[in-house]
Amino acid sequence: MPQMGVSVAEGTITAWRKRPGDWVERDEVIVEISTDKVETEVPSPAAGRVAELLVEEGSTVDVGTLLATIDVGARPGQAHADESDPPAEESAVESRQSIGSGNGKATPVSPVVRRIADEHSIDLAAVSGTGRRGRVTKKDLLAFIEEGPAKPAERPLHSESPYKEEPAPAPAAGAAEGEQLSVMRRQIGEHMVHSLHTAAHCTTIVEADMTAIEAARGRLSYLPLVARATIAALREHPRLNATLEGDRLTVWDEVHLGIAVSLGEEGLIVPVVRNAHELSHEGLGARIKDLAARARSKQLSPDEVGGATFTITNPGRYGALLATPIINQPQVAILDLEAVVKRPVVVSDGQGGDSIAIRRMTYFCMSWDHRALDGVGAAEFLGSVKRNVEGWSD
Amino acid sequence: MPEITYLEAISDGLREEMRHDSSVFCMGQDIGKYGGAFKVTDGFFEEFGADRVWDTPLAENAMVGAAVGAAVEGLRPVCEMQFADFIACGFDRLVNVAGKMYYRQGLAVPMVVRLPSGGGFSGGPFHSQNPEAWFLQSPGLKVVAPSTAEDAKGLLASAIRDPNPVLYLEHKNLYRRIKGDVAEGRYETPMGELGVAREGTDLTVVSYGAMVHTALEATEDIDGASIEVLDLRTLCPLDRDGILESVRKTSKVVVLHEATRSCGVGAEVCSLIAEEAFEDLDGPVVRVTAPDVPIPFSPPLERAVLPQVDDVKEACRELLAY
Repeated sequence: MPQMGVSVAEGTITAWRKRPGDWVERDEVIVEISTDKVETEVPSPAAGRVAELLVEEGSTVDVGTLLATIDVGARPGQAHADESDPPAEESAVESRQSIGSGNGKATPVSPVVRRIADEHSIDLAAVSGTGRRGRVTKKDLLAFIEEGPAKPAERPLHSESPYKEEPAPAPAAGAAEGEQLSVMRRQIGEHMVHSLHTAAHCTTIVEADMTAIEAARGRLSYLPLVARATIAALREHPRLNATLEGDRLTVWDEVHLGIAVSLGEEGLIVPVVRNAHELSHEGLGARIKDLAARARSKQLSPDEVGGATFTITNPGRYGALLATPIINQPQVAILDLEAVVKRPVVVSDGQGGDSIAIRRMTYFCMSWDHRALDGVGAAEFLGSVKRNVEGWSD
Repeated sequence: MPEITYLEAISDGLREEMRHDSSVFCMGQDIGKYGGAFKVTDGFFEEFGADRVWDTPLAENAMVGAAVGAAVEGLRPVCEMQFADFIACGFDRLVNVAGKMYYRQGLAVPMVVRLPSGGGFSGGPFHSQNPEAWFLQSPGLKVVAPSTAEDAKGLLASAIRDPNPVLYLEHKNLYRRIKGDVAEGRYETPMGELGVAREGTDLTVVSYGAMVHTALEATEDIDGASIEVLDLRTLCPLDRDGILESVRKTSKVVVLHEATRSCGVGAEVCSLIAEEAFEDLDGPVVRVTAPDVPIPFSPPLERAVLPQVDDVKEACRELLAY
């Protein structure tokens, strides 16, 4: 089990890509593993034939555990070590023409026929050949496979029993077969349920005018600019930039900003922008883009997905309006960015005159932990984010 | 889409590129007022003038050399060899200068040499050759050989727009014999992608140029077998994946070309299959080519040398029965 990062002690075998007897190239993926931080593919350290797999799929073992052995002295193209042709069912095949009969010289077998026969464990003597000198052609072999295994001998006649088996209950219409959750889904589930059981979740929502951000963002998405505004608010209200473990609250100087990245149906992952307070919104945009791309291609190192002090989740681009996110433990708050939509709103000019204008509006929804702070603190913080966003200036 | 001949498609493609890009110009013997030996540039002199349609002396070395210089300076010359056979006189400029310019100096050489090639009409040994293999051993050159009117126009456009020196083999025996629907205006046929002239499952015939039509005719009905015909279209770079995909499907391959046998395109395709698709083969890979002899003038002898429909049929029958 390779060391996947300084803080990782164990890993789970998700799937073996090779089985004993398979040839593997150096750097070809041999196994998929999952740690509590990432799922990743592990390349083979050497070229050779897989001799033995020592850890079963689904098992979790410590870093440093031997997972498999590779015979580097083997050569490609040799047969699987664990394979032996099962005996042909001679009796089932009626008077098949045998290859190699006649002049005593064996009829050649072409590479493709040899390969397909090996893959299906077929004894070529059982296949009648239509090629030159009775050679079994690829067509002959595929037709043989198509016919299916030879029929078993007919069962003896017997008088019919009065007993009738109960028909198996029909599955409910439309019911689908269940499937085992992936390792990633199970881990997300554990973390989320743990957080709900641990934190005193409370969600506060403010409305913000994004018009200034819209004008300033250029080709960037809203996310890096809102992240910048959030970081400034965190510096103002450090109690939100904190972790709570048991009854020990740690307020952090640096902002390590977690950004939730969706991996589609597979799940989601929260890579971390370290020392985010040192970055401009352009810098944040570049870092987020890089982390998201590497998250989707499973190239994050475990150290890039832990240690956040505050998290932003950003499902707004899918059009959702409000949400109550679950806090990423052990942090004390998570900010949710929702869709930016044009709305008629009342705006006031400097002289106290009101008018209705079309503005780009959004909701900032923040779940926070009532154990660590109270509603006033959350509202003050969100007010600060709102001010930073509405008064955005580069 | 109008139906035009292979020859008209070449003219059409060249004319469209010249109209669109003022850096494209033609060089060749008698291509001006006379319109070229085969009339590909008929009317070009009147439309584009003497500055863009150059008559050159009988000196292919000078023509190709001038084209290399013009290309390096940013023009896009299209040279016409009167017959492909004569490119031997411009060989050094092409393989040593043009082909290695990017490697040595980092300079693009966006030039095209049109090679009217192939036999079948008693042209004799100096006017019937298929010299494509000469250039496959010279890194830095691209080689295309269209078989249809549509690809003749599209590949010429791709060749002209490509930053590398491109040899464009146009088969003389297709000039007026082959017609096809060709789109008006400009389009490209991508280089490096073969075309499937006919899909099939039992055997693949790999070919290009005029022999694609021989293959299609020969394999129209061989005892009901389903025969795939690949038209390579680009000889360098070869569409390796396209060839291997077909081999994996059919497991039996005949490689057919009009050029001589040894160290040719067919040999290269066979090696590729042996190296990359050995475990998918259900029989020997068979070549049908001209033997390693000059192309005879005598009509019966020429027929005996160049692959004929019956030769292809026989090779396919043999391999199907293997």
